[in-house]
Amino acid sequence: MTLRIFESKDTITISIEDRFDFSLHQRFRDAYTECKNNGCEIIIDLSKTTYMDSSALGMILLVKDHVEKLSGTLKITNPSVTVNKILEIAQFHRLITIEK
Amino acid sequence: MKTLVDGGNSKLALVVDDSPMQCKVLSILLKEEGYRVFTANDGARAVAIYIKFKPDLVLMDINMPIMNGYEAARKIKSLSNKNSLCPLIFITSMDTDQAFIESIEAGGDGILVRPFSPEVFKAKIKSIQRISDLYGTIKELQQEQQKDAELAEQLMADVIESRNYGLDRIGIVKKPATLFSGDIQLTALSPNGDINALLGDFTGHGLRSSIGAIPLSETFRAMTKKGFSIFEIITEINQQLYDLLPTDLFLAAGFVSLSSHDKSAYIFNAGLPDTYIFDSTGKIKHKVESSHPPLGVLPNLLPEVPLSVINIMPTDRIVLLSDGIVEARNEEGDMYDIERFEQAAILGVIKNNVSQSVLKNVIEFCQGIPQEDDISLIDIPCGGWQQLYSSNKKNNEESIESLSTVDVPSSSAWHWKLSLSGSRLASVNPIPMAMNQIHEIEGSGEHWQSVFTILTELYVNALDHGVLELSSDYKNSPEGFTDYYKEREKRLKDLTSGFIDISLAYFPIKSGGKLEVKIKDSGKGFDFTKLNKNIDSTKGSNIELSGRGINLVEQICEHMSFSEAGTLIEASYIWTN
Repeated sequence: MTLRIFESKDTITISIEDRFDFSLHQRFRDAYTECKNNGCEIIIDLSKTTYMDSSALGMILLVKDHVEKLSGTLKITNPSVTVNKILEIAQFHRLITIEK
Repeated sequence: MKTLVDGGNSKLALVVDDSPMQCKVLSILLKEEGYRVFTANDGARAVAIYIKFKPDLVLMDINMPIMNGYEAARKIKSLSNKNSLCPLIFITSMDTDQAFIESIEAGGDGILVRPFSPEVFKAKIKSIQRISDLYGTIKELQQEQQKDAELAEQLMADVIESRNYGLDRIGIVKKPATLFSGDIQLTALSPNGDINALLGDFTGHGLRSSIGAIPLSETFRAMTKKGFSIFEIITEINQQLYDLLPTDLFLAAGFVSLSSHDKSAYIFNAGLPDTYIFDSTGKIKHKVESSHPPLGVLPNLLPEVPLSVINIMPTDRIVLLSDGIVEARNEEGDMYDIERFEQAAILGVIKNNVSQSVLKNVIEFCQGIPQEDDISLIDIPCGGWQQLYSSNKKNNEESIESLSTVDVPSSSAWHWKLSLSGSRLASVNPIPMAMNQIHEIEGSGEHWQSVFTILTELYVNALDHGVLELSSDYKNSPEGFTDYYKEREKRLKDLTSGFIDISLAYFPIKSGGKLEVKIKDSGKGFDFTKLNKNIDSTKGSNIELSGRGINLVEQICEHMSFSEAGTLIEASYIWTN
């Protein structure tokens, strides 16, 4: 499992390959907590994620909190069918923008 | 063999070499590092000493008579305690790649090639000891984590779930993961005979995943017992968990409130896989999919998400499941998935043992592979509850007949009154408030269950048929129930006028009491002479779909009558302790 971070001026893209679960906790946190710019945008790219568990959902809610404090935006992009099913069961589209 | 240095706490090393000279040299160096040392001159002897003394470190020559170093190493590693590393270093003069590779494959943790200086030897021992200590620390932490998980699991099972209702009829599967993962199953009986059930899945593992379990179960049980509706219970639980839990902890949960009386099931799915309703042949009648984010994520429930109201037959079964079942994996990494679940459940419905059928199938599928998430399921039969409930009731009621003649004082010990009007009728449930008053003044007791039923039935009657002017004709067919509740919800939402007055008066009597209930509504009233006749003719029967509420109250009460064109109902209830 790999976590890649792409940073541009006001956007951080966190791309997760393979499994997105608790083992990524620390690295995932480190990827966004440094960002303290008002109005920043964080994108969680799930195009290469094959599986996601409920602690991953919790981690996404933590980013959401962080971004909201900075009046920024959070976006989830390209979830695979399996991962999208998990997001759907948790009804995350009611909380976060999900771009397919 | 003798003990050296200060004995006691010092570490124990085993030096294995067929040359006594080499053994002696290494022993001296080790003693200088604070080790007590045993020596052996062949592999077999080394294994024997290892079994007896369990040393902390083994230094092993490769070429020895009787048993060589590789073989001895394999034996020792297979015997070693899983909670400590027991580092093993090969000492050899064979400076070849092959020797190096074979050493590691035999279970060695390192290799030291002769000749080496005493300093290099000591440095190697220190480094391997550091790794060994780290290994020990990790093992300790792992055991602590395991203990926490066991505590959490025990808490759920013994403290919380052992108080569940109806376990002789409700099937529950509960198979914790390698590390317990926070699944919880709760069932409770409402005072009006409804069954409330909850299957929850907290985020995370171990103790962390169970901190919300106690408030959750307390709220679920206390509110069910006081007669709050399932929606009020869900609303309260959501808010509690939101206040209590950190952002990344939440509860995916499915709720079922089963009303035999209404022949309906009220289902709310917040983050679980689909909830199933099967008929007696195993056909899937409905699936209720998740329509709300898990509880504890949002401060308030989303307004646009209603409860699903589903007509049920007594032979139907409702099955709730957690994602641990769907995502259970076998050795090949395949998921158990929903199709296999459905097949096993259908088979289970036919054989009348859904929980065992599914559990057996999942276990067979997983072939003993340790699972990352708890596997849990609740299977609720829709019928048979009303009979149980009524037979419990009857026992309480038989003694009432003889009470009609007891002396009741003319003035009451206390009065309680509440008038609700307009939109408050839609937003407030006065029954739990009334019950709270009674509990606070008179303490708790079994007989309040009947009072709850009386108040609920009379209030609902006044609200639905009086204020909201809903016709009970809707309820003449099972399908009509859904329409009835839809219409009810709509009219409640638009409600701006109308009122209901509730008044209670309590009269203490010898070893018991009498409660007079008056409920007055702003409706148009109805021809109650017809109903009174109806009550007489159907007394004791359960066939009619409507009017059963009033019928039930009539059975429980000592006296009940309508007046003021059917807009005022008075009922009095007597009990003895």
